[in-house]
Amino acid sequence: MGLRVTLRPYLLVVPALLLTCGILYPFALGLYYTLFDFSASKPQPDMVRFQNYETVFTQDAFWNSAWVTVLYAVGAAAVETVLGVSVALLLHRSSLVGRVLEKILILPLMIAPVIAAIMWKLMLQPSVGVVNHLLKPFGLGGVQWTDTPTGALLSSIAVDVWVYTPFVAILALAGLRSLPTSPFEAAAVDGAGWWYTFRRLTLPMLWPYVLVAVIFRFMDSLKVFDIIYALTEGGPGDSTVVLQIRAYLEAIRFQRYSFGISYTIVLWAVVYLAAMVLVRHLGRIQRKAAEVSR
Amino acid sequence: MSVALRDVHKAYGRTTALDGIELRVEEGEFFCLLGPSGAGKTTTLKTVAGLERPDSGTVEIDGRDVRDVEPYDRGVAMCFESYALYPHRSVYDNLVSPLRSPRHRLPAAEARERVGAIAELLGISGLLDRSVGQLSNGQRQRVALGRVLVRPARAFLLDEPLSHLDAKLRQQMRAELKAIGAVRRTTTLYVTHDSVEALALGDRIGVIRDGRIVQTGTREEIWYRPYDTEVARAFGRPRINLLPGTVTEAGEFRSVDGAVELPLPVRASAGSEVLVGVRPRDVSLAGDGHRLSGSVYVTEVLGRSVEVTVRIGAQHLSLVVPRSEAAGLRPDEPVRPAVRAENLLVFEADRPGRPGRRIGKST
Amino acid sequence: MKRRLVGRLADAALILYFLFALFPIAWMVLLSLKPADQLFSTYFSFTPTLDSYRTVLGDSEGIPFVRFFVNSLVVSVGAVALSLVVGLPAAYASARWRFRGSENLMFTLLSFRFAPELTVIIPLFVLYQKLGLFDTYVGMVWVLQLVTLPLVVWIMRSYFTDLTPELEQAALLDGYSRKQAFFRVALPLVKPGIAAVSLLAFIFAWNNFVFPLILTSSSAQTVTVGALSFLGGDRPKYNLTAAAALVSVVPPLLLALTIQRYLVRGLSFGAVKS
Repeated sequence: MGLRVTLRPYLLVVPALLLTCGILYPFALGLYYTLFDFSASKPQPDMVRFQNYETVFTQDAFWNSAWVTVLYAVGAAAVETVLGVSVALLLHRSSLVGRVLEKILILPLMIAPVIAAIMWKLMLQPSVGVVNHLLKPFGLGGVQWTDTPTGALLSSIAVDVWVYTPFVAILALAGLRSLPTSPFEAAAVDGAGWWYTFRRLTLPMLWPYVLVAVIFRFMDSLKVFDIIYALTEGGPGDSTVVLQIRAYLEAIRFQRYSFGISYTIVLWAVVYLAAMVLVRHLGRIQRKAAEVSR
Repeated sequence: MSVALRDVHKAYGRTTALDGIELRVEEGEFFCLLGPSGAGKTTTLKTVAGLERPDSGTVEIDGRDVRDVEPYDRGVAMCFESYALYPHRSVYDNLVSPLRSPRHRLPAAEARERVGAIAELLGISGLLDRSVGQLSNGQRQRVALGRVLVRPARAFLLDEPLSHLDAKLRQQMRAELKAIGAVRRTTTLYVTHDSVEALALGDRIGVIRDGRIVQTGTREEIWYRPYDTEVARAFGRPRINLLPGTVTEAGEFRSVDGAVELPLPVRASAGSEVLVGVRPRDVSLAGDGHRLSGSVYVTEVLGRSVEVTVRIGAQHLSLVVPRSEAAGLRPDEPVRPAVRAENLLVFEADRPGRPGRRIGKST
Repeated sequence: MKRRLVGRLADAALILYFLFALFPIAWMVLLSLKPADQLFSTYFSFTPTLDSYRTVLGDSEGIPFVRFFVNSLVVSVGAVALSLVVGLPAAYASARWRFRGSENLMFTLLSFRFAPELTVIIPLFVLYQKLGLFDTYVGMVWVLQLVTLPLVVWIMRSYFTDLTPELEQAALLDGYSRKQAFFRVALPLVKPGIAAVSLLAFIFAWNNFVFPLILTSSSAQTVTVGALSFLGGDRPKYNLTAAAALVSVVPPLLLALTIQRYLVRGLSFGAVKS
């Protein structure tokens, strides 16, 4: 019994461990590749040490991509948070309309982001798209949605918002429904107003749930690919070339494998750091929320 | 069958659950393990059942080391605090599970008969077709007990089986358990945090604290010769009176403010700090014994008797007397409670993290 | 009075949001029903036809869409099945026993969820071509573990953690073996969780785009990449694109509506329970 019992958990995780290693191996391989000048035109690469990273950090293209990525991630995560929490609060009132609509809240989230981007691309087409047609009565026809730098970025964010707002809303709604009722009853007895209750009770207690959603959304949008690939392909010019698109272009389009991977490694480091900071913040917020509800 | 644990240690990561448990339950004995939550009661039971492996030490069943014996082969049945009923199945399925398991394989007809008999005994015959999810707490408790009793186990391990019940139901089930235990004479290790339950049920009681057995004994031994102040406080409601003071040159007790002076039944070194304990029911207003003088502080009716709290200097002394004796007592009325020296327990003074030991002949 | 007004305003705001959320889907339906000759001449009034669906599902544009659909099914089901077989024991072990390296493994798995896909895909692109896994089912099922395995392990772990171990311990005392206790007691009790996580993992695998984009070319290509190919060419075929997009979102949408109740835990990786 003794040895078998000690080994049992290990035996159970062996398959998962192997699979994990199978996935870690390409990652390690990629890391290794970045030390070479490996590309389709140079299948016998030379060791170049950290030259790829040096090139990355000295390129204007990298800083442009990094800036666009941050704009995209912050913009999308911020709008989704505000909109998602608002929708959750509205649904939490639980009117008849709300109960009906809640059932279909999830739909956009379950559509592949790339398909969503295709749908919006059709709708935003400047001359025959339906959006400009509907805007015509307001004197706003002929907007060049994805053909101007700002327009392209905003359109991409809009698609992200369309797909992922339900994600924030669903988690926030779950949070709202799980809040303890006694603090709210006490506030009602004390005659606290709606705004005071919201600011001092709902928001602090809800925040951990929202923060989980925000962390997921922010880190996911840092590595956005599908939406931009289908909607703008990074254009016009370089205006929406986020980091993963840049890596794709370098590695797959131009077949400079080593250089392309260097981009993704840098992005990986950024996402990892962001995760560390946010998760630590989450721990603090959760403790605070626990104090409020006590 | 008899069960023994010898110097059993068990730790989960950095927390110590069992810190050298020594325990012996005799054949046919009803043994109550009493302790606060987190003391290691459940871990002790699960170690006996073979569900937890001790880090060191041995578990013996009928004198045989059962280190490598699978839980089922130990021949014990356990009632879990969480009931551990299969929520997706019916009451009947839950009760029959131990009988129809791959190892037990009792023929279906016999199993049905046996489940019927046990259901009858516990008054749950009408519930057999219900799903466990539909039952009340009390009903679940009975089903959980039923699942223990249905199997011809040689020892029962019961983990707080009455803790989730309301007061009335608990009393009723306590009586039933006692009746069943008396009839079956099956070795039973019963875990509880309720001293009343332990005193009512246990042939012997073991007091567990911080993963160690502090004291084992019959209810008389635990009651009259508690190991330390903590054990003395655990048994008896209202709680035992513990008065702090010192031992005089003459070997008598004097409270800190000098208001209480009592003869001591045991020898204690002069000048040492002690706690003198006396149970409220051992103090009278009318009987003989050493007289103290104080005044009534508050009275509280406990059914047929009355708890009177008397103020003596800075001390409060609680006593329980028949209603007739307490009739007409008013707050601040002077009284002279009587204490007999043989009812006094003497303890070393409490220190942080170490309750004062009883001074005197040990059990 | 004021209360009613606030209620009305809230409902109006909700309806506004849902118009935004649902209009694109409705518009795709309209677009897919338009005949080709009325594609750019009208918006809302036209003679509906199923021609677009016939073209898309009849593979007549030189794009084997039905095949893409089948590919999506095969690799998604395959990925979920592999993740369940491998992930359930791991989830159970890490929920039941504390053992060395358990948390490391769990967090490595979680980090996959947040790793930029290309970090792994570009080396795999090179590797797969050497190993002959490029554009194959096996290659796709393998790489989709990056999406499905963390989901299965983390969510199932939270289900197993919620299940008191005393249930299985009771079974051990009753005479079941450890294995039987797992299969007869623990597993049936987390069945709703398994169903939910399977469907969610299926949806995520189905919706994935980067992996098939880079690691397949034709024989293992999936609908997400396939739908995009209708946008190529000289003349944009909006009606066909819309039909292809709709066909490819039907499976995830249908499944999503059936697992509403279990979604919260799934979406948050067990961080939020409902």
